[in-house]
Amino acid sequence: MSALLDSRAARLLPDGEALVRHDAAVFDLRRRRDAAVAALPDFEALRAHAEAIKAHTLDHLDTYLERFESQASAAGARVHWAEDGVAHNRIVHELLEARGVRRVVKSKSMLTEECGLNPYLEAQGVEVVDTDLGERIVQLGGELPSHIVVPAVHRSRQEIGTLFHTHMGIPSGESDPVRLTEHARRDLRPRFLAAEAGITGVNFAIAETGSIVVCTNEGNADLGMGLPPLHIACMGIEKVIPTLADLATLLRLLARSATGQPITAYTSLVTGPRRGGELHIVIVDNGRSRLLASSAHRQALACIRCGACLNTCPVYRRAGGHAYGLAVAGPIGSVLAPALQSGDAARELPFASTLCGSCSAVCPVRIDLHDQLLVWRRTRARPRGIESGLYRLAAAVLARPALFRGAGRLLRIVWPLLSRHWLGNPARAWRVGRELPEHPGASFAARYRRLREAKR
Amino acid sequence: MSARERVLARLRGAVRHERPPPGSFVPAIADSSWEAFAEMLRSVGGEPVGPVEPDALERTLADLCTDAGSGRVVAGPGVDGAWEQVSDEVAPVSLADVDVAILRGSIGVAENAAVALDGRHAPVRALPFLCERLVLLLEVRAIVPDMHAAIARMPVDATQFHHFTWISGPSKTADIEQTLVLGAHAARSLAVVGVRSHAESFR
Repeated sequence: MSALLDSRAARLLPDGEALVRHDAAVFDLRRRRDAAVAALPDFEALRAHAEAIKAHTLDHLDTYLERFESQASAAGARVHWAEDGVAHNRIVHELLEARGVRRVVKSKSMLTEECGLNPYLEAQGVEVVDTDLGERIVQLGGELPSHIVVPAVHRSRQEIGTLFHTHMGIPSGESDPVRLTEHARRDLRPRFLAAEAGITGVNFAIAETGSIVVCTNEGNADLGMGLPPLHIACMGIEKVIPTLADLATLLRLLARSATGQPITAYTSLVTGPRRGGELHIVIVDNGRSRLLASSAHRQALACIRCGACLNTCPVYRRAGGHAYGLAVAGPIGSVLAPALQSGDAARELPFASTLCGSCSAVCPVRIDLHDQLLVWRRTRARPRGIESGLYRLAAAVLARPALFRGAGRLLRIVWPLLSRHWLGNPARAWRVGRELPEHPGASFAARYRRLREAKR
Repeated sequence: MSARERVLARLRGAVRHERPPPGSFVPAIADSSWEAFAEMLRSVGGEPVGPVEPDALERTLADLCTDAGSGRVVAGPGVDGAWEQVSDEVAPVSLADVDVAILRGSIGVAENAAVALDGRHAPVRALPFLCERLVLLLEVRAIVPDMHAAIARMPVDATQFHHFTWISGPSKTADIEQTLVLGAHAARSLAVVGVRSHAESFR
């Protein structure tokens, strides 16, 4: 287990309760996904089809982006290109500033989280209100989303009640999800009506028609696109797909993989601005072309951000999204981070995995996530500190059978000590909210020998 | 060189394989009945009504609106009755107090209870999201089994296509401890009224 992830996990888990609730909540999404998959006889065929659509698109990404740009422009949208997050934020701000916009409503967009758009705009004096309920909760709490689909899954209803009490002035002690949602609705509705611009993400961009597609369950993106005169849609270069027919395949997979729903409540296609309004589309690279250039990792750009790999990941479920320190957490976050982010933290994340392969098994576009984590470990990712020493030690021990057997004997002696409370216990941070597994008392080789003899 | 040129140049440099586009997908399901649609609609929190004969539609709508408590009721193009009609001249903000909006859907999808709402039938884009309660009319014969068939039927001309929304059930959220709550930001309830074949086409 990564030392870095470990220290962040300690922040998420002041006690065992938050861990149990988080684990149950995200695994419930996994179960709903399984039920939806079981109800659809052609789900595996759909996955293969989606994988082929995305592979083909990535092979011709330049062509499809140009096609999308020309079709969107023909429909009346203005298309902008940004090489990185800084350029993206600047473009968005210039659009707002030129129109004197001070109040913006924003729907969920992992890209704008990745680029740090909110703090940038707020520093320029623009009021940005996140309108997805989960995003609003993490905005009020001053933190990053901890999950792609359910951003506030790390928060208890009591904590959310307290946040709403502080920021919306609701009576203290409220913790009923229905009433809390109603308070948020009443607080946000006037903000929608008063907003001068709406910023949204993009789930899919269709080259054939120049349309953007936005999927939500709450309807917040549609209010943000339909009320203010200015709509700015922000998309990564990997969001483009060739045709409307391709959209059918991907829509059938997205919500089923995310929450087990057959489709999100609202799936909106926007082709050009509405009457009297403006539509601007910002296309962002921010490191994605580096992934595209790597034959080992280009498939990661096929991701449709459903969150299925998070919900099934034994590390994510027990560590929580904030442990990753990224806008996108979980297995896909760890795969994207070494390419999209600089710094040691990103390079260490590929080690925060058991390589069990559950992520790859549920991915709706069949990204080989755990294989990619392994490739990162061999190439760019580096373990740090005590951990890098442990890896070297393990390599030395595993290469020498006699040493391996001796080390096993030693570990069986010290193991009970690691399970106890004592100052300086190297396993102390890990043991917050968890227990070390019990060791079986004998080596595998010894147990295997015993088993064979008993059979005879 | 502009940012656009630099990004595109990097992408061109990264082209490696030449994998062909996959053919069209042949789905395994084929039920396009009102019953299948209605069952799925219930499971996503919506309320199926009917199907009714065209001449009973006005009556059915009147009953639905009385149920809703008779606030401001507005109707989109192609909905007969004494309702306040909405045109694309109306400012979206002036519809903020709408209680019930009645709009015509053009396609229904049995596999996910989605109903297509295009620009022709929802002249103000924000209306189906501003109203407290949404009522969609759907011709029974406009139901298709799956999203592939549904998208194949989408009209791709500018006036209808400019905004186009698939609506499946009412607005919902599960952002607070995974508890499902209906009516997050948009319509708190959704009724889909099935209509048996009209003389004139819906599409």
